[in-house]
Amino acid sequence: MKILIADDSRVMRQIVIRTLRQAGFDGHDIVEAEDGRDAYDKVKSESPDLVLSDWNMPNMTGIECLEALRNSGSTVPFGFVTSEGSAEMRDKAASAGALFLIAKPFNEETFADQLSGVIA
Amino acid sequence: MTTLDTDRRLADARPVITELIDEATVESIAGEAWISLVGEDEVLVPLPGELPADVVSSWVDMVGPWTGSVVLTTGRQTAEDLSRALLRESAPEVLEEEDVVDAFGEIANVVGGSVKAVLPGHSALSLPSVGTPPEVRNPVDVCRIDVLWRGAPIAISVQGALPALGTPGTTV
Repeated sequence: MKILIADDSRVMRQIVIRTLRQAGFDGHDIVEAEDGRDAYDKVKSESPDLVLSDWNMPNMTGIECLEALRNSGSTVPFGFVTSEGSAEMRDKAASAGALFLIAKPFNEETFADQLSGVIA
Repeated sequence: MTTLDTDRRLADARPVITELIDEATVESIAGEAWISLVGEDEVLVPLPGELPADVVSSWVDMVGPWTGSVVLTTGRQTAEDLSRALLRESAPEVLEEEDVVDAFGEIANVVGGSVKAVLPGHSALSLPSVGTPPEVRNPVDVCRIDVLWRGAPIAISVQGALPALGTPGTTV
């Protein structure tokens, strides 16, 4: 699978990649994006099988990216990995078409639980 | 009623942070962030230590029913050590300032996001900043903990941004 990881923090992208590995999701092709705009462009150019995106990012937020993707006809599976874990944000994410929302701080068990049905 | 009266009433109606969160909750939030980001065995010891002269802060701002900032302050060397701990095997031999800004800012982002989640109502969270933090404006509107990580002091302060500080030449 090709997985696109969008976060404006390079360190957090590394942590997400590491946690994916620790959760048992090894050997996938990883593409990184540094904000929502970059993620949108890379969904179009790289055709990932899954997007794991932060919420608060400069240029274009994660939720704006998801809305723009759905408006453009993209149905790419999309989940959030974000410090925004409130019920309101979860509702907003689900309404926009997100499959899940993993709140930071997370651990490998959270990743395994949320992603086991999503990552082949 | 004048606009000034309305502003005062709104200010009076706003809770201070100690009515919304206590030190034990901040300590628990920070502890979870440390375990997730820094490492499973990385504990924060709730003991005060003397911060060195050369400190750096990272923070996120929150605007909502309560408005203020969640600020982490520590010595520059400790901020670098934290950044290395977050980066682990991908840490470069020589850390760039950009790496410290990124890593130390991300810790504030995660702690701030968890603080936001326990506060009532809807709030907006800013992107993290690193540098010289906002001043404490109202000493009553602060919930601060002092902890040690690997023996080095770190202060975590949830501090209100209201009322605005006076600026020279004006009266409040």
